[in-house]
Amino acid sequence: MAKNNLTTKEMSILKRMYLWSHTTFVNFNMTKMEANAFTMTMAPVIEEVYGDNIEGKKAAYVRHNAFFNTHTVPLAFIAGLCGAMEKDVADGKVPSQTVDAIKASLMGPTAGMFDSLFFNCLRVIIAGICIGLAETGNILGPILFFVLYAGSQEIVRWLLLKTGYTLGTSFIDAIFNSGLMTIATRSASILGLMMVGAMTATTVKFPMNWTITVGKASVEILPLFEAIYPGILCVGLTLLMMVLIKKGRKPIQLILGLFAFGMLGALVGIF
Amino acid sequence: MNLQAAIICALVYLVIVCVDTAMGDQTLTRPIIVATLTGLFLGDLRTGIIMGAQLEAIFMGISAIGGAVASDANSGSIIAVAYTILVGGEGAMETGMALAMSIGTVMVSFNSMFTPIWASMAGYWEKLAGEANPKKFAIQNFLFLPIGRCPNAIALFLGIGFGIEGLGNFLASCPPWVLTGLSAAGAMMTAVGFGILLSMIWDAKICAFYFVGFVMAKSLGLSSLGIAIIGVCCALTYFFVQKDIVDATKTASSGAVSTGANSEEDFF
Repeated sequence: MAKNNLTTKEMSILKRMYLWSHTTFVNFNMTKMEANAFTMTMAPVIEEVYGDNIEGKKAAYVRHNAFFNTHTVPLAFIAGLCGAMEKDVADGKVPSQTVDAIKASLMGPTAGMFDSLFFNCLRVIIAGICIGLAETGNILGPILFFVLYAGSQEIVRWLLLKTGYTLGTSFIDAIFNSGLMTIATRSASILGLMMVGAMTATTVKFPMNWTITVGKASVEILPLFEAIYPGILCVGLTLLMMVLIKKGRKPIQLILGLFAFGMLGALVGIF
Repeated sequence: MNLQAAIICALVYLVIVCVDTAMGDQTLTRPIIVATLTGLFLGDLRTGIIMGAQLEAIFMGISAIGGAVASDANSGSIIAVAYTILVGGEGAMETGMALAMSIGTVMVSFNSMFTPIWASMAGYWEKLAGEANPKKFAIQNFLFLPIGRCPNAIALFLGIGFGIEGLGNFLASCPPWVLTGLSAAGAMMTAVGFGILLSMIWDAKICAFYFVGFVMAKSLGLSSLGIAIIGVCCALTYFFVQKDIVDATKTASSGAVSTGANSEEDFF
C-alpha cells in the first residue's frame, strides 16, 4: 500500500518543491497570508500532473492560492501531502474539497507545534549559546547562530516534505481502495471547519471603538455585541464574506469594500 | 547624522529582509545577525557583534508569529547599532539599546499603514495564479518583494539621515482617523481569506462544527493542537459511523455497484 521508494521523477519534483517552499513569507499579506508561497511550492507538481490540461491547471492554481498560514517548515510537509493527492484530484478520484479541507485542518496545529519547537525552544537554546560567544565580540556567535538555526530548519523541512508526500500517497490509496471517499472528505471537512472556526476566533479582528452619545448618556456599542457572545462580530464578518464569495463576488471587491468601510468607519468614529 | 551611513543602513535592511524572506527561515533578520552585519558595513564589526548579543537578548520574547509583531527587531537593531557607531563616546551603546525597542514599535505602526495596501493585492495575485503561468507568477512575486519592503527602508533612511524625531512627527501629523482606519481595515482583511477558505469546504450538513471550533478557541481558550485532537476524534467517529452504515447497506442490498451509486446520491 505505501509507496516508500520514490521514482527519480518524483524526487526531482520534490527537490523543486523543496526549493520553492523557502518562499513562505514572500508577499505575505493579511488577506491570504502565505497563499502565494503555497502556489509557488505546488507549481512543480501541478505542472507535472495536469500537463496539457490547461483548464484543470488554472483551477488548481486558483485553489492553491487560497488562504494559507503556518510555520515555514510544516508548509513543506503540507505541500508534500497535497502534492501526492493532486494526482488523484486530476484523475477525478478525489474531490478537490478533500485537499482544501486537509490544508485547512493542518495549518493551525502545525503552526502552533512548529512555532513552539523552532521559535520558542530551539531558537532560545541556540541564541543562549551564541549570545555567550558574541558578548565578547567573537564572530563565531552570529555565524554559529545562522548555521544551527537555519540548518536545523532546512534538514527538517526536507525530511517532512518527503514524509508528507509518502503519507499522502498511501493515505489516498487506502481510502480509495475502501471506496469511502465521500465519507473521508466529509470527515476531513469536519476537522477543517473546526480549525477554521478556531482560527476565526484567534485571528479575525473587528476593532470597533464606537460610543454613541445622546445628551449626557453615552453608550459603548462593542460591549453590547460582546454580551451576546464574545467575538460575534468577527464570526458575522467572516460568514458574510463567505456568503458574498459564494454569491460570486470577487475577493478584490470584498477587500476594497472593507478598505472603504474601515476608512469611513474611522472617519465617523466607529473604529 | 550623515547621509552615507543612512544609505548604507537602508540598503543593509533591504538586502537582509529580502534575502531572509526568500530563504524563509527567519534567521537573518534576528538581531544577532542584523547587528553584526550593520556593524560590518559601518566599519565597526566588534561593536556590531557585542550589541547583537545584547539586542538578541532584549528581543528574545518578541516573535513574528501570525504576522502581528509588537516591535520590529530588525529595523530596531539597525538603528541602535547605527546610533552607537555614528554618535560614539561614553554611554552611546546604552542609548542605542534604549532606542531599539521604541524605534521597533514606531516602525511597526508605520508598517501597519501599508498593510491594507498589500492586502488589497490578494485579488491580483489570485488572478495571476489563474493564468497558470508559474514562471510569470514567481517572477512577479520576486520583483514585488523589494517593493513591498521599500517603505520601511525609506523610513530607516530618513530616520538615520534626519533624526528619529522626523519619523515620529510625520506619524503625528497624519489625522488620527487615517491611521485608525488603515489599521482597522488591515485587521479585518483576514476575514476575506477565511471567507474564501470556508466557501471551499462549507457543507450545510456539517457546518455546525465551524461554530464548535470557534467556541472552543474563544470561550474555552483551548490551544489549536487541543482543538485539533477533539476535531480528529469527531472526524474519526463520523468516518467510522458512516462506514458502518455503508457496510450495512452493502450487505443488505448485496450489490456493490448499486450501493456505490446510492451512497453518492445520499451525500450530494
